[in-house]
Amino acid sequence: MRTTFRGLGAVLALTPLLAGCFVSAEEGSGADGAAGADGRLRVALAVPPVQALSPYSNDATVLSKLSVAEGLTALNKDGAAAPALAKSWTRKNDTTWTFELREATFQDGTEVTAESVVNSLDHANAAETKPRVLSDVTLTARADDADTVTISTKSADPVLPLRLASPALAVLSAKAYQKDGTVSPVGNGTGPFAITKLTGKTGAALDRYDGYWGGKAKASGIDVTWIADGTARANALRGGDVDIAEWIPTAQAKLLDTDIRHEVPSVRTDSLVLNTRGGLFSDASLRAAAREAVDGSALVDSVFGGYADPAQGLFGPAVAWAADQRVEVTGRAKAATPAQVKAKTKGRTLRLATYTNRAELPEAASVLQQQLEKAGFTVRQDVREYTQMEADLLAGKYDALVFSRVTLLDTGDAVAYLASDYTSDGVYNIAGLKDPKVDQAIKAAAEEGDTQQRQQKIMRAEAEILRTDAAVPLVHEKVVQGIATDVEGVILDPRERSLIDVDTHLK
Amino acid sequence: MGAITAGAKARPAQWRAGLGRLVAGAALLTAVALLPWLSGTDPALTVLRARSADQDPTPAQLAAVREQLGLDQGPLTHLAHWLGGLPRGDAGTSWVSGEPVLPQVSAAFAVSVTLMLGALVVTLAVAALVSARTLYLGSRRRLRQARAGTGAAVLAALPKFLLASLLATVCGVWLGWLPSSGWEGPSSMVLPSLALGVPSGAMIGGLLDQSLPAAFQEPWARTWHAFGFPPGLTARNALRRALAGVLPQLLPTVVGLVGGAVAVEKIFNIPGLGRLALDAALAQDLPPLQTATMVLILLGVTAGLLLQALRRALLGPALRDGALPALHAPDLPRRRSMSWIAAFCGIALLTVVGAGLLRDPLHVDTAARLLPPSPAHPLGTDALGRDLLARLGHGALRTTGVALAVTTVSVLLGLLLGTAAQVSSGLTEAMSTLPAVLAGLLTTAVTGPSVWGAALAVCMVGWTPYAAQTAALLEQERASGHMLAALSFGAGPRYLLRHHHLPAVLPAVLRNALLRLPTTVLVLASLGFLGLGEQPPTAEWGRLLSENQPYLELAPWAVLGPACALVLLSVLAVSGAPGTGQRRHRSSW
Repeated sequence: MRTTFRGLGAVLALTPLLAGCFVSAEEGSGADGAAGADGRLRVALAVPPVQALSPYSNDATVLSKLSVAEGLTALNKDGAAAPALAKSWTRKNDTTWTFELREATFQDGTEVTAESVVNSLDHANAAETKPRVLSDVTLTARADDADTVTISTKSADPVLPLRLASPALAVLSAKAYQKDGTVSPVGNGTGPFAITKLTGKTGAALDRYDGYWGGKAKASGIDVTWIADGTARANALRGGDVDIAEWIPTAQAKLLDTDIRHEVPSVRTDSLVLNTRGGLFSDASLRAAAREAVDGSALVDSVFGGYADPAQGLFGPAVAWAADQRVEVTGRAKAATPAQVKAKTKGRTLRLATYTNRAELPEAASVLQQQLEKAGFTVRQDVREYTQMEADLLAGKYDALVFSRVTLLDTGDAVAYLASDYTSDGVYNIAGLKDPKVDQAIKAAAEEGDTQQRQQKIMRAEAEILRTDAAVPLVHEKVVQGIATDVEGVILDPRERSLIDVDTHLK
Repeated sequence: MGAITAGAKARPAQWRAGLGRLVAGAALLTAVALLPWLSGTDPALTVLRARSADQDPTPAQLAAVREQLGLDQGPLTHLAHWLGGLPRGDAGTSWVSGEPVLPQVSAAFAVSVTLMLGALVVTLAVAALVSARTLYLGSRRRLRQARAGTGAAVLAALPKFLLASLLATVCGVWLGWLPSSGWEGPSSMVLPSLALGVPSGAMIGGLLDQSLPAAFQEPWARTWHAFGFPPGLTARNALRRALAGVLPQLLPTVVGLVGGAVAVEKIFNIPGLGRLALDAALAQDLPPLQTATMVLILLGVTAGLLLQALRRALLGPALRDGALPALHAPDLPRRRSMSWIAAFCGIALLTVVGAGLLRDPLHVDTAARLLPPSPAHPLGTDALGRDLLARLGHGALRTTGVALAVTTVSVLLGLLLGTAAQVSSGLTEAMSTLPAVLAGLLTTAVTGPSVWGAALAVCMVGWTPYAAQTAALLEQERASGHMLAALSFGAGPRYLLRHHHLPAVLPAVLRNALLRLPTTVLVLASLGFLGLGEQPPTAEWGRLLSENQPYLELAPWAVLGPACALVLLSVLAVSGAPGTGQRRHRSSW
């Protein structure tokens, strides 16, 4: 028996040793405390990589957030295309554009040439699941000479320069593209920071790339930690483990000191999407009743803790041009009174869905439930993880959905969102909207080449959509970024594409 | 004679147990392999979504994913292909990331096992503290009154995720003693180990504490005392005797944390196996999910065999030779304070429930958000301005009702499977390391999201502690001398069951079940995100805790109310249960 206890003791004594060996393997990730001392930035990002930072996945935004890779163009503050690897471009005719490249080098030392640009675009075109940004366009790229690329599209694409700013179309050196179809940006970008090490889904280390065409970055490197839990991210910033923590949940924002809490209006709009294709809300007067019952501004100070703006339409203050060109909504259906609602629903319950992935949505749903019940509806909630309900959503199994949607997708152009969510053949048409006038308005906007005209037509399409009451905008979200007081030059980007660039540094 | 028959019986019994393990493991793996086809949710869609959140699910894209993954070939081809790769050390590539699975899974496994060992150290320390008093008094023959085990019940009722949040905030952020998240050094291990180990330790300690008096009651202990042997020696031998019955509980309670500590892994940002398995399961990413499940099953079986060997070593040859004296709990008088505690908890709970039922639990008032306790809202309000007292009161009946029902079914299942230990031990081992979330996913796949789905899923994995306990206690009981006597007097199986087996097993299993009641409440609520269980805004204690957890620091009262209610329930159950551990039917001395 003595031996048994001794054996038990020995096993337990081994524990710290085991721990030691596992941990030493992890320590290479470089996120240790001393890192901040030599001018390296420590960043906590929210969404862990799913495909080893492949630009054709969710991870693409990491490449642009940390200035690792660039495309031919970039988006400026107003959301217009600005020069990046291409210093200028011209539209030769409806379907043909030429881009003049600047002199730049990849982080592996090779030259950026027209050939390498064509190679990158060809790979994106041929990717196993095509990047979203190329889903509605067919383009071919051709190298004219060493620094001129001609890109032609099958049909006219007025927003091609915006499209090319997408992180999914980043230009990487030939070495990045492997035979099995995977793409590795590690050390293969053109940006001011080069990834040197990627540790699974937990962290990455980046060093400054001294040969960057735009000059040397002020920070000597970046240590990235992925922390999926919002509270843990806020804690890491408050505990001094990181200098920058993105996406602080609204429940935690108040815990940060005001000088480290920075809010940015986001292009995300939360709305109540009503299912027009069947069930309760195929009746326009009931949709109107729901629209009148629902008050998004009640959510702003409660559920969102002040980090949101009351909805003005589908596009919020983050889309700078939207407010000035907004078109008044006319011709809406007359709302049913609570008594009429009771009569028309005939005891059927309203199935209100939302998902747990964004912490605010389930809370918002409970507030909306009360508002809808006041208008005479009987409401039952269904709250699940998004992937657990997406198929049901697309199949139209719910009457209403509290939905948080990015209104400027990776094209940076608003039409893509309208087309996929509200046209009768839209693939993400959860509202099941089939309205010829809406289709026509969106089509008109898509075909317009002139920026000013396009914006006007987009706002006209917005009014057409709101007229149908297929979507009731609730709030425009704001993003809270946590930035320690000794960091300067962090970019607060409403599109959540940029975070750190050449000028970001520790004081 | 006993030794000879036992030896001859041993070999087929071992074969049967081995076969049982193989069948159980194979069945579980097959069930997991069928998941994407059973669930009714297109795996192409979930994989596409996991790769890219903004990707439009066009038919062309979905077809591309389907073709890339070979989804049309059906589940069996995939399973065969995956199994075929295993001998070569190839567990396939992830459907989502396209990277080889084995390095990911083994790295996460190493992290989780390290964390589990840390939690084990804390568990043992806490268990030692909880049972120290009984051990001290018992070894000196000064045990006069039965212990209520209130302290253990309080600690065992603490939700792990709440403890984790609290530790991360207080020790990590406010005091800055230890890192609040990450996995970078031994210092990162301390807080998560505490969060996981304290409730587990209280559970193990509570069970040990309850079985120790019986060991001190045995004739040898009295003889040793009379001869003036040092109390330390007596204590050590009594511990050995009592530990044997409690050890199997380490499997579901501590080893199960390797795959089942998702909430704590999230809060401390630990790249463990629990999170990996959950992510893979949600994305229906089969290769990593299968590999993680297989690793967990192997771990369960290995740990089960190890614990069994340890138990047999502790009990020694007496177990094999059928010469084990049975453990009889002495008829110690209940302390009067026990009734007082039970009465207090009962009255406090009734008051809360009574007062809460008179209020509206669903009324949202966004202006009255996160208000501290006041006369208008005695327990404060939550993030939507709902009255917490009302929500507690309205949730009480539903919460305790479902938890008790699930516990009853689990105990019955456990008793049933525990009596057939030779065949079912493999299933017990394999299931006790399986995360409840996985059971939840399998349930949703078959039944669809439903109110009873959560209860069904928890029953599926919840029986393992009771089966392990039943099997261990029955083995000891069967090896005791008086069983031989009963058999030789011609006792039939039914007589044995009623007069020997059940009385030997039931009190300890019931106590275990009562200590686990709060955990059951929390596990039930943790499956809500799969659409299982009551949907919001219905009040339910587990949901109250999880929905208010983000506000722990801003409005501590929002979690304090439900946490206290859970503690009260647990203490009431443990102290109010009639005569746990008392067997009046016979006395061996």
